Amino acid sequence: MITKMNAVKVLFRNRTPTVFINRYYATTKKKIPDPDEEESLPIFQYPTSKSSDRNMYLWGLAETGALGIHIPRGKNRKQYRNNFSLCWYPMRSSFAERFDVEQVAAGYGFTVASIKTDEQHKVFGMGINTDSQIGYHAPRMGHPLELLLSPAPIFLPYKSLETKIISIDAGRAHTAILSDNEGVFTLGNNAYGQCGRRINPNEEYNGSMVSYNIKRLGKEKIVSVCCGQDHTLFVTQGGKVFACGWGADGQTGLGTYDNQAVPAAVKGDITTENIVKVASTGDCVLALNDQGELFGWGNSEYGQIPMQCGSQQVNMSYSLREFTRGLGKITDIAAGGSFCLIVNEAGDAFVWGYGLLGLGPNVEHSKTPKQIPSPLFGRNEFNTEARVEKVACGIGHLAAITNDGHLYMWGRNRQGCLGLGSSKDQTFPLKVAIGGHVLKVTCGVDHSVAVCRPFT
Amino acid sequence: MQKLELTLAIIKPHAVSNPVVRTFIRNILKNKFIVVKTKRVTLDTDTACKFYEEHAGKFFFKRLTTFMTSGCIDLHVLGHVNAIQMWRQCLGPTSVYKGQFQDPYCLRGMFGISDTRNVAHGSDSQDSAEREIKFFFPEFSFYQWRIDDEEWFRKGPITFNDHFFQHVKKLA
Repeated sequence: MITKMNAVKVLFRNRTPTVFINRYYATTKKKIPDPDEEESLPIFQYPTSKSSDRNMYLWGLAETGALGIHIPRGKNRKQYRNNFSLCWYPMRSSFAERFDVEQVAAGYGFTVASIKTDEQHKVFGMGINTDSQIGYHAPRMGHPLELLLSPAPIFLPYKSLETKIISIDAGRAHTAILSDNEGVFTLGNNAYGQCGRRINPNEEYNGSMVSYNIKRLGKEKIVSVCCGQDHTLFVTQGGKVFACGWGADGQTGLGTYDNQAVPAAVKGDITTENIVKVASTGDCVLALNDQGELFGWGNSEYGQIPMQCGSQQVNMSYSLREFTRGLGKITDIAAGGSFCLIVNEAGDAFVWGYGLLGLGPNVEHSKTPKQIPSPLFGRNEFNTEARVEKVACGIGHLAAITNDGHLYMWGRNRQGCLGLGSSKDQTFPLKVAIGGHVLKVTCGVDHSVAVCRPFT
Repeated sequence: MQKLELTLAIIKPHAVSNPVVRTFIRNILKNKFIVVKTKRVTLDTDTACKFYEEHAGKFFFKRLTTFMTSGCIDLHVLGHVNAIQMWRQCLGPTSVYKGQFQDPYCLRGMFGISDTRNVAHGSDSQDSAEREIKFFFPEFSFYQWRIDDEEWFRKGPITFNDHFFQHVKKLA
């Protein structure tokens, strides 16, 4: 503009200078800043995150779509065939930026997340869908999708749209979704009765639109659900545990080794206890009562549920009071494929079973609970307050969250599920680089999901 | 030239229902072996018990049979001069929890979930391979194979039929 004006100035300088000068002043006068106007201008502020925001980070095998993140693969055709697309590091999900994620669950190659909303679509799923474990999704009638690479809403027949989703868990090929006053919705494979309904040996699960609703169990409200690979556990308001699904290792705790189609109350030592939490990822189950005492049943091939008789399959709940004597009150529990991980009141983590337990460089078999040295979780002279608060287990990997919101992971690094930036197995707990205060972590078979709140 | 050996590979339900694992295994089968026969079946309890009768009475018998009947399984008859040993080598140690640390890049170490859900089954000797193939493919004629087909598959020309997922004679 100015250069143009100068050109005009040169042109008119000799002819009518006065006219031009007047004009010039007239245009610049407008540009004099007015102090009042400046006050009224809007102040631009970059968006800052609130502490109520929730971020979701995912890592592990992206090939199945369980991360909901598209990762380009090598252009070379050979690379395309042989290399899986993996996420070595936690990746922030754009899905959680768009919706307020509340609950997440990681199954075998799929992820389920619930969001805070009053609309129909409260739960989203991504990943493998060969058994309709994340609902019916078909681009055309009769052509259901086997893999969903980005989050898709799951249709569930809610009675009221104000229903809230309070707990989700996922197994090998089934999902259990717990709502606050409409009970549990189960989706997916029911070959063992893990969906809590009658087993039909000829049922076709791919492209199935079936969801099953379990309203109450034992006339009580259900307060939490937990899925093992092929069984489901329900905790009711009165502290009772109900189980259904595969029982060949005694996972259902019903005193038999049969499949259980209709949820039934677990027998044994827990019948008189008030259970607050159950944990199971593989075929071994741990339960915690309100006194902080431990109970267990299911697979015990690697000494997860130590029995006097040395039984490898425990089909009824047994108290592990003697086994955990001297550890104090237990606050959180997790059961992996061949090991168990617990935390006590003092924030110390104990582990037993078989695998890379985090106790040293060797794969080992520990028959008694052994403490993982607390300096590994950041407790030292400068930070004596660091405590482990929550724990989680995948099939071969372990995770712990400290009170500072740091996430530590170790164990078998199947397809990068530890998020430590390498494919090597991790022999001791190592902090995962996540840009947030970790609130919850859930481990699938080959991927992991963490829900975080921003540091502010 | 050495004669082709046959073995039976059974892909277990959890691997069949996972598209990523299934594709990975099928690429290995297609490129490393000659796939002579392929069939997808769903077992019933009686068949599974009969197939695994050598394990009857062991503590894991029930969980093995109930697992094998929980979904469809893929049966492949594989041919190679060293098929039995090679397929078992691809699979790795039987126990997933122990084997995944010894041999992390075998099929079971990569995709196995537990000692029962250990991806696939492989015959352990020539006799058992013959017995298992006859069990699942009663129409498969070993006589015909030895007399006629074996030489053709060994010398070619053969091509891969993606629809049947098996190698077939290439017609001139």
